[in-house]
Amino acid sequence: MPEILGASQLVVELGARRGLLRHRAGVRAVDGVEISIAEGETFGIVGESGCGKTTLARTLLGLQRESAGEVRLEGRVVSGLDPRAARRARDAIQYVHQDPGAALDPWWRVGATLAEGLAIHGVGDRAEQQARIAGMLRAVGLDAALADRYPHELSGGQQRRIGLARILLLRPKVVILDEPTAGLDLSVQAAVLRLLRDLRAQFGLTYVFISHDLSVVRRVCDRVAVMYLGRVVEEGSAATLFAEPRHPYTRALIAAAPHLDGRESGPSLPGDPPSLRAVPPGCRFHPRCAHAAPSCATSEPVREVAAADHAVACLRWRVLA
Amino acid sequence: MSPPVLQVEGLAVRMRTEGGVAEILDDVSLTVPRGGTVGVVGESGCGKSTLLRAILGILPKGGETPRGAILFEGRDILSDRAASARGRIGFVPQDPYLSLNPVFRAGDQILEIMRRHAPGSRADRKRRIVELFRAVQLPDPEAALRKYPHQFSGGQRQRLLIAAALACDPALLVADEPTTALDVTTQREILALLRRLVAERGLSLLFVTHDFGVLASVCAEVTVLYAGRVAERGPTRAVLDAPRHPYTRLLLACHPDRATDLLGIPGTVPAATAQPGGCRFHPRCPIIHSGCPVEPPPLVALPGGRAVACPWHEDAIPEALRA
Repeated sequence: MPEILGASQLVVELGARRGLLRHRAGVRAVDGVEISIAEGETFGIVGESGCGKTTLARTLLGLQRESAGEVRLEGRVVSGLDPRAARRARDAIQYVHQDPGAALDPWWRVGATLAEGLAIHGVGDRAEQQARIAGMLRAVGLDAALADRYPHELSGGQQRRIGLARILLLRPKVVILDEPTAGLDLSVQAAVLRLLRDLRAQFGLTYVFISHDLSVVRRVCDRVAVMYLGRVVEEGSAATLFAEPRHPYTRALIAAAPHLDGRESGPSLPGDPPSLRAVPPGCRFHPRCAHAAPSCATSEPVREVAAADHAVACLRWRVLA
Repeated sequence: MSPPVLQVEGLAVRMRTEGGVAEILDDVSLTVPRGGTVGVVGESGCGKSTLLRAILGILPKGGETPRGAILFEGRDILSDRAASARGRIGFVPQDPYLSLNPVFRAGDQILEIMRRHAPGSRADRKRRIVELFRAVQLPDPEAALRKYPHQFSGGQRQRLLIAAALACDPALLVADEPTTALDVTTQREILALLRRLVAERGLSLLFVTHDFGVLASVCAEVTVLYAGRVAERGPTRAVLDAPRHPYTRLLLACHPDRATDLLGIPGTVPAATAQPGGCRFHPRCPIIHSGCPVEPPPLVALPGGRAVACPWHEDAIPEALRA
């Protein structure tokens, strides 16, 4: 499948301030990210809090301006534009908020919220709005009568479905799902994941799936990128990456996830990731890495191909394999 | 043999709300043996937090316990006279970000708890806090006393709260989803810490969670709650490997580690003000029989220390549900 969304050498600096006399450097929340997402796939992004996954998503979406590098959408370069133009050029990408309840206006009936999106995107005719909304509510498995309810009258699962309906009404090609199952009960989570799978097929969508739940990512993603301190440290097909993780960080993440059988595999990963204000030299992961060699503190690893559709950025992956 | 640390017997909790009287818990029984680790698992609205609140004596206004007893070290702590015994129950809350006061130093917040429950001079107490900080592996325990909550990371704050829970030398630790707000890597460390503390200090643990993976890594025994009643209980391994109650079976089939396909459970958890009669799971149950809507099924003992509240637990779940 051809690439639908991609980025090269993408850098996003946050919090930089340029005053008249004083200049404060920002932090690089995303620092040289390469990704290429194929049409129709579900692309997972995983990593601990603060690794830059949400910043990357906001940048792909055009909400956050890139400081350097390139973003490609359907073969066109859509980076380097001013914020308004950037967002317009990326109309085909939409974002589903992590907390769908917070993303809905509590004073508006759900139907009004859904109609607003359509109006902004040029569908002004009331009758057509109503017809599209009713159809979409059914597509996400809700009763069309729910359009008359207020957000607080809906369950968590229903709110997620409304969040999806709202985005899908705009006919996107790429949907960024930010922690789509966080805070959901197991039975609701299963229903939401199944719905996402069905919608992807029905509307020909591509998903960028941001999650910290590795069990879910393993199940629903075709390919996965693992981020650490603003960099992609490993990327590959979900099957290979989970079966044969190459980067020590990926291994530690997978080992840390609790399993139903209660087994614990591999050593734990002590401590927290360092601050972006004090990124370690060499490999960023070396202070926490159980396999670090002296060279890891001095030279930066580059992305290497470990197998077909499997890349890793670790100086010692061959030794550790 | 010494009595169990905690015994909940036939507990009912009612809550007066605007929508009427909600029956949050009904006939819930549970035992935490000395040195035991017991998990309470269930989805939102099953009553697991209310159970903890009843045990800790912090039911919200309008909440009452019309039936049942809670015995802590043999004393009924639902009656006012024995309520002070609760000082020997340590509580680890869910959210390390919300559970600390941002304007007080870490050491002072724990000193305040100790002033209420532990004897000794201020210097003694401080020494004890430093020991506790060391036990929960907070880096630089002496300096940590004087730090404010925002100067700790999420994982460190959870360690701080565990230290606070240990401050009054508890016999029982009660934890309410203590790792949901944390990354998996930090979660694993906190769970390892809890396991170690329980083993080293001879503590007993009552652990509430909705995550079966976390449950499997910490608890030897489990009680599954559904809509305020016990659906099933037994040794964690046995329940996870071969669940008996149709609810547990369907729920575990939803787990991404387990599912051959993502099933989901039809319908939703009933509102506490409108609990269905008979078995509370019957409107969603794939193996419903004519008696299910009439008579609440009793919790019946099975071999291997297990019990299940479903007379039809040996029936197969129809394949039609596996879309």
